[in-house]
Amino acid sequence: MLISYNWLRDLTGSEWGVAELCKRLTMRGLEVEGVHEAGDDSVIDVALPSNRADWLSHLGVAREVGVMTGRGVRLPQTESKRTEGRAADFTSVDLQAHDLCPRFTARVVRGVRIAPSPAWLAGRLQAVGLRSINNVADITNYVMLELGQPLHAFDLDKLGENRIVVRRARAGETIRTLDGVDRKLDTEMLVIADAARAVAVAGVMGGAETEISDATTNVLIECAYFAPASVRRTSRALGLQTDASDRFERGVDPESLLRAQARAVALITELAGGAASEDAIDIYPRRVARPSVPLRFGRVGALTGLDVPTADALRILDALGFKVSTGGANGSGAAKPDGAIEVAPVEPGAQVVFTAPTWRYDVALEEDLVEEIARHFGYEKIADELPVSHNVGEHRAHEGRRRAARRALTSLGFDEAISFSFIDAAHDERFELPPGLVAGAGGGGGAGENAVSASKNAASDAGGGDEKDSGERRDPRFVTLSNPIIEGASRMRATLLAGLLASLRHNFNHGTRDVRLFETGRVFAAATDGGERPTERESFAMVATGGALEAGRALAPRELDFYDLKGALEAAADAMKLPPLEFAADDSARHLRAGQSARVALGGQAVGFVGRLSDEIAAAYKFRQAVFVCEVNMTALLDAGETPARYAPLARFPSVVRDASLVVDRSATFAEMRRSVLGMNLEDVRGVALFDVYEGERVPEGKRSVTLRIEYRADDRTLRDEEADALHRQIVESLERKFGAQLR
Amino acid sequence: MSTEVTSRQPEAVREAFEQEFGRFARFRGEGRAVALSELRLADAEAALRELAELRTRHAGKKSALANLKKQIGRVAPEERAAFGQRVQQTEAEIAASLDEAEAALRSHAARARVELERLDVTLPGRRPRRGHLHPITLVRRRLEDIFVSMGYAVEDGPEIETDFYNFTALNIPPDHPACSVQDTFYTTEGFALRSQTSTVQIHAMQRRKPPLRVIAPGRVFRRDTPDATHNPMFFQLEGLLVDRNVTMAHLKGTVTEFLSRMFGAGTRTRFRPSYFPFTEPSAEFDFSCFKCGGTGRLAGEPCRLCKGGGWIELGGSGMVHPNVLRAVGIDPEEFSGFAFGFGIDRMCALLYSLDDIRLLFENDVRFLEQFN
Ligand SMILES: [Zn+2]
Repeated sequence: MLISYNWLRDLTGSEWGVAELCKRLTMRGLEVEGVHEAGDDSVIDVALPSNRADWLSHLGVAREVGVMTGRGVRLPQTESKRTEGRAADFTSVDLQAHDLCPRFTARVVRGVRIAPSPAWLAGRLQAVGLRSINNVADITNYVMLELGQPLHAFDLDKLGENRIVVRRARAGETIRTLDGVDRKLDTEMLVIADAARAVAVAGVMGGAETEISDATTNVLIECAYFAPASVRRTSRALGLQTDASDRFERGVDPESLLRAQARAVALITELAGGAASEDAIDIYPRRVARPSVPLRFGRVGALTGLDVPTADALRILDALGFKVSTGGANGSGAAKPDGAIEVAPVEPGAQVVFTAPTWRYDVALEEDLVEEIARHFGYEKIADELPVSHNVGEHRAHEGRRRAARRALTSLGFDEAISFSFIDAAHDERFELPPGLVAGAGGGGGAGENAVSASKNAASDAGGGDEKDSGERRDPRFVTLSNPIIEGASRMRATLLAGLLASLRHNFNHGTRDVRLFETGRVFAAATDGGERPTERESFAMVATGGALEAGRALAPRELDFYDLKGALEAAADAMKLPPLEFAADDSARHLRAGQSARVALGGQAVGFVGRLSDEIAAAYKFRQAVFVCEVNMTALLDAGETPARYAPLARFPSVVRDASLVVDRSATFAEMRRSVLGMNLEDVRGVALFDVYEGERVPEGKRSVTLRIEYRADDRTLRDEEADALHRQIVESLERKFGAQLR
Repeated sequence: MSTEVTSRQPEAVREAFEQEFGRFARFRGEGRAVALSELRLADAEAALRELAELRTRHAGKKSALANLKKQIGRVAPEERAAFGQRVQQTEAEIAASLDEAEAALRSHAARARVELERLDVTLPGRRPRRGHLHPITLVRRRLEDIFVSMGYAVEDGPEIETDFYNFTALNIPPDHPACSVQDTFYTTEGFALRSQTSTVQIHAMQRRKPPLRVIAPGRVFRRDTPDATHNPMFFQLEGLLVDRNVTMAHLKGTVTEFLSRMFGAGTRTRFRPSYFPFTEPSAEFDFSCFKCGGTGRLAGEPCRLCKGGGWIELGGSGMVHPNVLRAVGIDPEEFSGFAFGFGIDRMCALLYSLDDIRLLFENDVRFLEQFN
């Protein structure tokens, strides 16, 4: 909100310079965000907290300055130059909706001359960002900015039967508001009406037909207190937010209506001539109550650590307009007959009940009073102390393992990515989801095939129909935002891959073609098993493409491939102290290229997929090089617990190794061959390692040569060559038999 | 055998040697440095091989010299001593010539080899390109370590929340602007994406009994259109302490302590009154600018980081509102507590002088690899 320095000085008499004033306002909670010059004035931009509606005026800010100076505020003059007749002689008010309008006042000024405002008035309005219209309209705005009370001026002669009815709008009723827009009203909206029709949307905006014009001679000044919730609702429903509605919906001072009205009428008779009615019509059936708040003075120190003398606490509350409740005082805080607080020593343990001033809507509890006292005693006096500790620090569960996994990945050249949690619904059918997130998707263990087809069915159901109608693209499997901010990004991600591939696209667009990224983060799915909340789970994903870069060297020695990504996943799992992950060829993941994809499992439970991105998706992203992707269920990995390290005695006798180069069908896997050898349960066979794999010249098409290195060792003696050879022969023969292998 | 002939034989052997050795003579004596400097490694190695052959021919077992030595015994006794001496002298001279040339060539070849195999030690060391952690992870990890060392437990909660946790329990009334569809994301099922990590306060207080100290770093969501200073998703850290006799001084001391560990000893903090529904009294906190030391000036110019004010705004804080304590069954008469929160993204921006926080979620490798 913009505050005129000169205007504020008129109300406070404070002689603080602009810089000093700004510093003091900021330290009392009125944060000054900027100051600019406007002629001989300075305009101060203050950011106000949302609970202080009373600060939305120069008087409100002046009150705070008045507490600081100790001299209070100087209220503007409200005496009209000329008065004539009673308001009831010229108009009447029929208040039919007390619940929405607890107080309504009307006063009349007759014989005015509508003209441009004098320079001082137009200048002040312009300084704080308002356009000058004419003298009467400007005065209503001026008083609102000065005292915080919105007012409305009607052309009295245009009001049907010259009277006012405050009522709910009728079904189908419309009004053309001052901004020239025809608005449809509903029956919960409060309107100001004349004998026949609505002439203003109460607390929001006046109507065009009864607006002050150059021809206006008699005006009716409305000044009312509307129920905040009602104005808020109407303003939202109409999509119409005004300076008036801003104030009404946060609460104006119901006790200052007549003063604000008198101020406006005094200015009108001074600047536009005419005679004011001697009185106002004032309908105020039931006083708006303010809560009584008890304060134990000891609580100030207990909550703030400030040692505030009781006299200071009382002085501050008094200056802020708090009164000691009659009869509420618990002995010590005596009230003067006028309600002002007797500033006298009070026992520190004493309790006094205070009533908040009528302009305050933010005070209901003892803590609120404590804050008021601390605020004006000075937050800058709060000391730096450390609390006595009764707790021990602890990281999140598995934090060490998460960090170890991250370290492993960065040491392998992966950069960490963080992407938005919402993605485009277009990704719904693109990726195989990590197992177990969405009911029926991704599969677990051997059920994979079925699960995938189930989710594909769900996909075609969703694609078949009505999603376009809703605009929300609902899908029963996923969590959908009803109010996304980034166009299209309405789906809470069920996979991290969408974000990573978008990042890959971004990097390609900026000339980086060698990219390795990983991300961990939550993925989401609609509640399953009748659970109330959506499912949230941690996921871990990687993408890799381009060359296997080395530090400081422009030329990568080779291109990344499937085994780089698989290796990174294994390294991460290893760092998390997991048992070895299991990899099985699996062509069912729809986002992966058949023949280069694997299902990943841990202890037999499917946790995700790794493989080469399918040509179809790569083409959709315009990727022109092989991209490898992986996503696994991080929650499952962490839940799996750590494999503890355990010492095994070192071998006492040397081992012998023998290699076997076997030409086998391409379909025979290393894992099967290895399992087959170990499955023979030969004593003294200690391990089967891959030596190399060769395809090409001298190996027939459809075959490849796999060289295994087998380690032989006995526990109780040095194994002789002949013994190892005999075992090796046995193994090779078995492999030849089982895999149709031929020794090369 | 005549004495005449015998007496001339050593001379003949020497002459024959010197004739062949002639081309190696330049590697002896004064001029050898010049002669060697023109010699490439391969030539030096070839010369060494030839020299070895020369040695075999002229000083080996089947050489004329060896033959001569065998004749010493057959020379007349009166001449034998003199003859023997001359043979020995000849042998010594030949050996000296060969040794000297060989040594010179050998050391030259060794030096040449060293030069030839000299490495450019400034070439990059051999290692895979290292990856980088996201700056938010780096800052978050530092923050977590600081708070754990100060006795706090790190907590987290759901990112999709019910109204109760996101608003009601935090004393945010349903008509508060924060609850509006303008500001908060809602799912079609009516859940809210948590708009502040304060939600974790509630989960933590339901899980733990006071006295408690927790921090909750995590993702939050607000419906801001992305620009240089806004993202619809960002990271916050929320801190909460509930114990007996806790005051705002403890809050201020705690904030000062952690900021000193983050930004350096001597960091000061400033509280300004503010309003948050879930704290009362409430304060925003600023800390003394770590670039200019809070003076507002840097090298005679106004400091750009703090815009000359000497203070940097960071977050909100306050004493936990009694309604919040009551919502989780804690008696505000027995316990009091403080809470504070700030943006991890903002702290990233401050620490790394980021001028556009949209970079945080674009995952541009050129951006990510700047952090370590
Ligand atoms: Zn600075």
